[in-house]
Amino acid sequence: MQLDSKIPEGPLAEKWDKARFSNKLVNPANKRKYEVIVVGTGLAGGAAAATLGELGYNVKSFCIQDSARRAHSIAAQGGINAAKNYQGDGDSIFRLFYDTIKGGDFRAREANVYRLAQVANNIIDQGVAQGIPFAREYGGTLANRSFGGAQVSRTFYARGQTGQQLLIGAYSAMMRQVAAGKVTLHTRQEMIDLVVVDGEAKGIITRNLITGEIERHSAHAVVLATGGYGNVYFLSTNAMASNVTAAWRAHKRGAGFANPCMVQIHPTCIPVHGDSQSKLTLMSESLRNDGRVWVPKNANETRKAADIPESERDYYLERKYPSFGNLVPRDVASRNAKQACDDGLGVGETKLGVYLDFSEAIQRDGLDVILRKYGNLFHMYEKITASNPTKEPMMIYPAVHYTMGGLWVDYELMTTVPGLYAAGEANFSDHGANRLGASALMQGLADGYFVLPYTIGNYLAKVAPEPTNTNHEAFDEAENSARELTTKLLKNTGSGKSGLKTVDYYHKKLGQVMWDDCGMGRNKEGLEDALKVIPEIREEFWDNVTVPGKGNELNQSLERAGRVADFLEFGELMVRDALEREESCGGHFREESQTEENEAKRDDENFSHVSVWEHKGEGNKPVMHKEALAFENVTPSQRSYK
Amino acid sequence: MSWFIQTCRSSLGKKYIMALTGFLLGGFLLVHTIGNSTIFWGREAFNAYAHHLHSLGVFVPIFEIGLVSIFIIHVITGVLLFLQNRSARGGQKYEVETNPGGRTWGSQTMIYTGASILVFILIHLANFHFVEKTEILTISDVVTKVLNNPGFTLLYVIGMAVLALHISHGFWSLLQTFGINTPQYNNAIRVVTWAVAAIMIAVFVLITLLLVVSQNQLLG
Amino acid sequence: MSSKTINIIVKIWRQTGPHAKGNFEDHALKDISTGSSFLEMLDVMNEALANKGKEPIAFDHDCREGICGMCGAVVNGTAHGPEKETTLCQLHMRSFKDGDTIIIEPFRATGFPIVKDLIVDRSALDSIIQAGGFISVNTGSPQDANSILIPQHIAEQAMDAAACIGCGACAAACPNAAPMLFIGAKISQLALLPQGQQEARTRAVSMVGCMDENGFGNCGNERVCENVCPKGISIRHIARMNREYLKGAFAQSD
Repeated sequence: MQLDSKIPEGPLAEKWDKARFSNKLVNPANKRKYEVIVVGTGLAGGAAAATLGELGYNVKSFCIQDSARRAHSIAAQGGINAAKNYQGDGDSIFRLFYDTIKGGDFRAREANVYRLAQVANNIIDQGVAQGIPFAREYGGTLANRSFGGAQVSRTFYARGQTGQQLLIGAYSAMMRQVAAGKVTLHTRQEMIDLVVVDGEAKGIITRNLITGEIERHSAHAVVLATGGYGNVYFLSTNAMASNVTAAWRAHKRGAGFANPCMVQIHPTCIPVHGDSQSKLTLMSESLRNDGRVWVPKNANETRKAADIPESERDYYLERKYPSFGNLVPRDVASRNAKQACDDGLGVGETKLGVYLDFSEAIQRDGLDVILRKYGNLFHMYEKITASNPTKEPMMIYPAVHYTMGGLWVDYELMTTVPGLYAAGEANFSDHGANRLGASALMQGLADGYFVLPYTIGNYLAKVAPEPTNTNHEAFDEAENSARELTTKLLKNTGSGKSGLKTVDYYHKKLGQVMWDDCGMGRNKEGLEDALKVIPEIREEFWDNVTVPGKGNELNQSLERAGRVADFLEFGELMVRDALEREESCGGHFREESQTEENEAKRDDENFSHVSVWEHKGEGNKPVMHKEALAFENVTPSQRSYK
Repeated sequence: MSWFIQTCRSSLGKKYIMALTGFLLGGFLLVHTIGNSTIFWGREAFNAYAHHLHSLGVFVPIFEIGLVSIFIIHVITGVLLFLQNRSARGGQKYEVETNPGGRTWGSQTMIYTGASILVFILIHLANFHFVEKTEILTISDVVTKVLNNPGFTLLYVIGMAVLALHISHGFWSLLQTFGINTPQYNNAIRVVTWAVAAIMIAVFVLITLLLVVSQNQLLG
Repeated sequence: MSSKTINIIVKIWRQTGPHAKGNFEDHALKDISTGSSFLEMLDVMNEALANKGKEPIAFDHDCREGICGMCGAVVNGTAHGPEKETTLCQLHMRSFKDGDTIIIEPFRATGFPIVKDLIVDRSALDSIIQAGGFISVNTGSPQDANSILIPQHIAEQAMDAAACIGCGACAAACPNAAPMLFIGAKISQLALLPQGQQEARTRAVSMVGCMDENGFGNCGNERVCENVCPKGISIRHIARMNREYLKGAFAQSD
């Protein structure tokens, strides 16, 4: 596997210009002769499909939902960063770049992150032009807030629904292209395989989720914007249908997978209520601006929060990190909450929660001020838990939220399979080992609107503009293997075999292993254990899973089964990657690599690289390649929040 | 003109037609109310009013044709909307029918109150319009005679109640259809609607009751 | 977060395909935690069905945070169930009592053909957006974001309308099966903003035209939609659409 990151020469600030200039262009009259498949209709996929359509390409857009407006980008609450410096508080492209790369614990490429910071401003302009109702000041100018511990106010927002508004913006632009005949929608279609013809991506195999039919679709290039893999943990803040299938099957067809162990665990989520819990709900981390995190000092505490005297409370974040207190970064806050619960100090029925207390803030600023800031979040919390945060402290617990790892891509967002691109959360590129708040929307849209539409031309210009078809034997082979997979998943249906278990049973089982051994804290022993256990679960899954219904109809159990089957393979790769990376960085905390004060200890000497995994076939160990990271414009420093 | 036809055919176009014709019919009703209130001043006044109307000559048939056309358009469009809406709702009804809020008696029964009003108006016209009136048997005599029949008394009171129900949704609805919905005035609009409708209906009902209680009101 | 549990009877609609005849199926569920969400209750039921080798009930859902607009069903006669301004996924079982019978039906409307069980086809809503629910601006280099000033209260009103999640509850609950709140919200949002003015003349007419083509009914101003809308969108946005349509229709003659 060759890893050529194709980063342009020259000063950081000029690299993107240079790339755009040196990229080959497709003749405008020829654009209509090219077809591009875009899988996924979130921010990255929607924006890419719309823009490619506008440029004149013929786009085939695929999504598993019933409409292109439902992808999980829609759930992002907080906002989107851009270095507009509208507030005149010292922001600049370089500062946004620096914050992002430092936040990522120096495990991302300088050139990519700098480009992200450069095009972020265009996203805001584009969004406003599309009619996105961003928050405004009285005078009519755009409002900003500071977010995620940033020292400047650079976050643009539309109430608590920024992701929704940006996604609807991209969706509307895409619908315009559908009306213009440039984008064809294929909703309720799931990509099950990538078709590689003579080493280049030339199509996909999908399952029509309504009819169950296996379909072939061809194109000159394929873009995967299929999101992250957080659902490998079963419980996460991802949408129920979020999955790794498209990325994983592309990986099995030759696309390198980068840093799969890099997962972000968000500290302020609503705790699990019981066994029937299906997913977790995140609340904006802005809550930590005023809420104080604490647990009782006594492990056998049974009193209500209000009855526990101050002297018997442990405000552990304030105690351990006097200068940052409750505002430590996400990974630190999450890890400490887990530590408290592991020590038996957790609160709530499940003992998997810590208090987030607003009583002091309410006393200090008054209830109305606090409600103005957090009213909608309090409302959401109360809706789910039936408990009022102004009367009793909130209970929070960390949850899997975002995955920094993904398909390896070069500067042009192309994977190691020529003609196959990955955008948004599906690629690994910009967030390193930890993503900052309000950066996910920025990256998804940057990739979709402003990067991919330029770089894809560089590839297409080298491809003959001849009509595509699905006759190549690679399509036969991929379609057959898709059919075989369906048959295999359904083999126990109606067999009368005893001891069969449902898909969710195995998903939960895998999730538990991943959470325990490859979650907030990881160590060699646990990871090695997981490497043994996961194949066992996988084997049991294939022997004993029951998938009711048939293959040639709408069958949600079958859909889930296919996704869980991939998680069962992918989970192993994650663990392998976590085992290999013997340092702590960002969201990846190796317990062996910590300072005397139990803080994450990065090892730049040995691990300043991207780990890229190559699939070596069923039953064979994958091979890891390294892309070394060079820092020419910033100096990696150890993070400290004491 | 194609845009006009296209507009009239569209769902919103039909709503505008309903709203506009409804508004005009309401206007007629208002004039009718004012005219009929001459009954309170006795036989002379009422006959004089009727006489005055008939002396308008050629305007009478023009006005009548106009009114009937508006009425027919209102009815036909209403029926079309009803049928379209029924087909849009589909064959399978919800197992449980609830009102999660918003619907009123008036809004739920528009087609039925509308149909009842149509029947009522036909009877009304048979009673007062298509009867022979002479110098001796004036409109006052006809009205008195009809309304003193207990059956008709009841019919007219019920008719007015149904009309009230129809207008209670109709007037607000026409404002909404024309886009006159501004939260700061919505309550005021609602109050005024009710007041106007109530006054009109009250006048008609009072006339009916007055003629029952005081049979000599319109007799010489 | 109480651990109270309740026993309920679920009477749920089953239908194998768009043209198949559907019927209700009864399921008795025991020990449902009142802290679980409505969809988690359905998960429990489906898991039990799957364990018996029976086919689970198909229902649409995705984010389970009340924002994607994918879920929705009519619960005891009300779209998205008894809680105001709450999507089905955010409805919790504490809204029900021990011993309750819960009747669950799909969103019904001619414009939303049933696909299977509780799943309906809402692609007509996409078609309506394709007919004009956008501002025609290509990706590129538009003017600086702050060169368009929008007073705060206008931006807020536009945001009120833009909060629509496209779930289709308005049409499902409307006595006339009209998605007027959905389409009104989009037209109103774009009509409020200066960016939307260029296409205002044609937008309302073509979007409403598309709605008619898809077999939906006519607005009866019954206000049920705003009472079931999980995002609490007001019918004043329908009124604004009505104005926009009038302007559009009469200004279109040239």
